Amino acid sequence: MAFLIDCPNCGRRNPYEFRFGGECKEAPGPDADLNTWCEYLYFNENMSGFQQEWWYHNMGCGDWVKVRRNTVTHEITED
Amino acid sequence: MATTKKVLQYKEPEKHYDVVIVGGGLHGLATAYYLAKYHGVKRIAVLERRYIGSGGSGRNTEMVRSNKRAHETLPFYKDSLAMWDDLSAELDWNLMVQKKGIIALAHSDGELASMRMQSDSQRRAGIKIDMLDNQQIKKMVPSLDVSDQTALPVLGAQFHPEGGTVHHDAAVWGFAKSAARCGVDICVGIEVVGFNVEGSKVTGVQTNIGDINANKVHVAVGGYSSEIARMLGVKFPVVTMPMQVMTTNIMAPFLNYYVASPRLHWYTQQTLKGDLILGGQLDPFSSWNSYTTWEECSERVATILEYFPDLAHGRVVRSWSGLCDCTGDSAPVMGPSGIDGLSLDIAWGYYGFKATPACGKYSAEYIATNKVPENIKAFSLDRFFNRQRVREVIL
Repeated sequence: MAFLIDCPNCGRRNPYEFRFGGECKEAPGPDADLNTWCEYLYFNENMSGFQQEWWYHNMGCGDWVKVRRNTVTHEITED
Repeated sequence: MATTKKVLQYKEPEKHYDVVIVGGGLHGLATAYYLAKYHGVKRIAVLERRYIGSGGSGRNTEMVRSNKRAHETLPFYKDSLAMWDDLSAELDWNLMVQKKGIIALAHSDGELASMRMQSDSQRRAGIKIDMLDNQQIKKMVPSLDVSDQTALPVLGAQFHPEGGTVHHDAAVWGFAKSAARCGVDICVGIEVVGFNVEGSKVTGVQTNIGDINANKVHVAVGGYSSEIARMLGVKFPVVTMPMQVMTTNIMAPFLNYYVASPRLHWYTQQTLKGDLILGGQLDPFSSWNSYTTWEECSERVATILEYFPDLAHGRVVRSWSGLCDCTGDSAPVMGPSGIDGLSLDIAWGYYGFKATPACGKYSAEYIATNKVPENIKAFSLDRFFNRQRVREVIL
């Protein structure tokens, strides 16, 4: 695979060890209406380029890792 | 006698059209064809930024079937599958429709029960479907290992006799040729970079060669719908993921059916040429890059070899991938977009190819009449807000 994910506990690992958790979104507040929640749940920015996303290291330490990845080139950078 | 007449002449776009279709894949070309042929729309342009059929239309595994689960969508898929039968004659172009039958293997009691449930829904919708036991499977596919020696033994299968394959490039050229002969302008190398919206109505598209005015704009961009969403300043309920496909070297004919294992994420068929097409699952993360990986290839080959041990001498000679825009409920988004004059045919995930004729027919009907046809009502964008998501199972 063309890229490795930097896990703070396990080091640089193959992405197939992880479960993709989708792009980072801001959760609506407690008083948000139903439409806002539906949009939060189902709708995505789905960037072609850099996006912040969650990865779950299920074949490793079992921690959630936040990664900034380019979805076209798979380049991973610090913020 | 061989003809020297050009099959298709690409056009330079004009400044104004009745309908502009963004995306020169199968869905866009089919919609253009049905609009021109059955609804008498005169001035239609199909804008494609690379070459026609360059995206998912030319990268799928050529499977056509209607064995889906959700009852509100079954008439749509059934219609689509039936339409392939007559299309070769209608388009005057051999689409190589071969309805050889699809065998979907079950590896557990739970899966068998789920397949029986699906079969009941499908029979109720008038789709032919049968359940097979291991003896019947062995008789149909002698090379398949149905013994209890495999990692997950085969316990039975669902047989979908009307499913099969259609040559995807032939379909692209058939629709493109027929659309062009009905007066549709097919323009390649034209990239849409924005939309002109006045108030709540779309008035045209911005392209790399200038603005094109249109009364109606139809979006059929396959795996790239989120780029369209960003131009419009909205979001769509999709994640883009690549699907990887491989072919092997050419072998003597031994496999007459399409064989799939939904549980282990593999399916395979032998083409008329003799090579096997091996397909699998989506890469489990979002990606806009159509790469192929060793991990996917080795997993696919290992799982298929478990059930076809005689293929051990075969070689994977070629692999490719295409982008799939997947929604959470395994159903597409069709119909109104919330902007007047802008209609959608997006989020077709990995099941868009088989739906091509029906997508073209119903999208054209919606664009021409402004009424959402009954068969695509379940695919509306509003369903995500109205708690009416399609109850589809992944297959």
